[in-house]
Amino acid sequence: MLKDIVKYSGLFVLLVILQIFVLNNVQLSGYINPYLYVLFILILPYEIPGWALLLVGLITGITIDTFMNTYGMHSSATIFMAFMRPYMLRMLADREDVDKKGSPSISGNGFVWFLKYASILVFAHHLILFFTEAFSISTFLPTLWRTVLSSITTTIFILIGMYLFDRRSHI
Amino acid sequence: MNSLIRFIVRHQFFLLFLVLETFSFWLLSTHSYYQSTKFENATRALTGFTSSRISNASKYLKLASTNERLAQENINLRNQLAALNTRYEVLKTKLGDTLVAPNYSYTLSRVVNNSVNKQYNYLTLNVGEKHGVKREMGVVSSQGVVGIIAGVSPNYSTVISMLNVDLKISAKLKRTNHFGSLYWDGKNYREVLLTDIPQHVPVSIGDTVVTSGFSSIFPADIGLGTISSIQGKGSNFHNLKVKLFIDFKQLNTVWVVSPRHEEERVELENTTKLR
Repeated sequence: MLKDIVKYSGLFVLLVILQIFVLNNVQLSGYINPYLYVLFILILPYEIPGWALLLVGLITGITIDTFMNTYGMHSSATIFMAFMRPYMLRMLADREDVDKKGSPSISGNGFVWFLKYASILVFAHHLILFFTEAFSISTFLPTLWRTVLSSITTTIFILIGMYLFDRRSHI
Repeated sequence: MNSLIRFIVRHQFFLLFLVLETFSFWLLSTHSYYQSTKFENATRALTGFTSSRISNASKYLKLASTNERLAQENINLRNQLAALNTRYEVLKTKLGDTLVAPNYSYTLSRVVNNSVNKQYNYLTLNVGEKHGVKREMGVVSSQGVVGIIAGVSPNYSTVISMLNVDLKISAKLKRTNHFGSLYWDGKNYREVLLTDIPQHVPVSIGDTVVTSGFSSIFPADIGLGTISSIQGKGSNFHNLKVKLFIDFKQLNTVWVVSPRHEEERVELENTTKLR
């Protein structure tokens, strides 16, 4: 338990630093903004209680918001993503792994499962994020386009991150 | 009462979600750039610190192109200085010494945080209250207008970028002197829109757009960009796209513009309105 908290706190700091120092300064094009920090919500343990999940979403979002001067944007998107997570897990659950221990991962759930799980939640997050940012329906199509492109990029970053992270946890 | 509690317990996940989501939308709605909060001032010291670390690192990578641009700028300034000096000498002998103090003074600053990929882009500068920076001062670079100061702390200040869909600045066509307002539509970071130029004004692609100097935030005749497309046939006003001279992705050194006689001007304009 304590080991988990230490592990996840370290991961949190790592992801926030990576997001703020590296990814926010990588501007691939006006349409693509990867937000890797949502990986943190994806790989929280299965047994985390609902209220804790939502609070972690709030804290993660507010931390990113503080550094990016976007009050409420990232937190609303991250909370929404945290809210969706249990439903996604239930929807994607196989019959045998209902009471699984640990956390979602590529090695534990398979690549296709994880890809589905990550891409849908990332899309939900980016949809809320970019539409609260644009805040008007007149730019509907460009915003949707940004959401789709950024979701794909973020998901690719997450898969790369998962491979690196998984390998490290095997040692 | 019992059933209410049971309802809350059963739907606690959804209710907590609603509460937190309402909270963050409340944050989002109350936070506009003119109400800079205490929270923001407290955190700006930290975020400004990390941002200046980042920009220190990335500055090295751009040293070569920055040097080249500065050298080019130096040459231009020297040429201008020489030209103006000769004119000044001529005028001085004609008019006597009528040189008045300039209307604006400039504070040199470095951009420590910047973005171009959002709808509401902001910059952070490494000058603040201590350096005489105040809210609503203009920020320019050698290639045009950067934005307007939105908030200041002792050592840092945030700037609403020209690339922020909330910002409009007053601009005019250099050739005809017709003025309109310039704003960003949130799409391409190299292009902004110029509106309110009446249809009867002859406009052609490549015309230069400069600041109008009507707002006292920016001096007049700072080059902004050139017209890149003309649309809006059939309406009362042209719908012009302006290609910016300034490349926000390369922004490094900027100047904060402080107007000298602003109080006098505002006071005069206010008293005249009363009549």
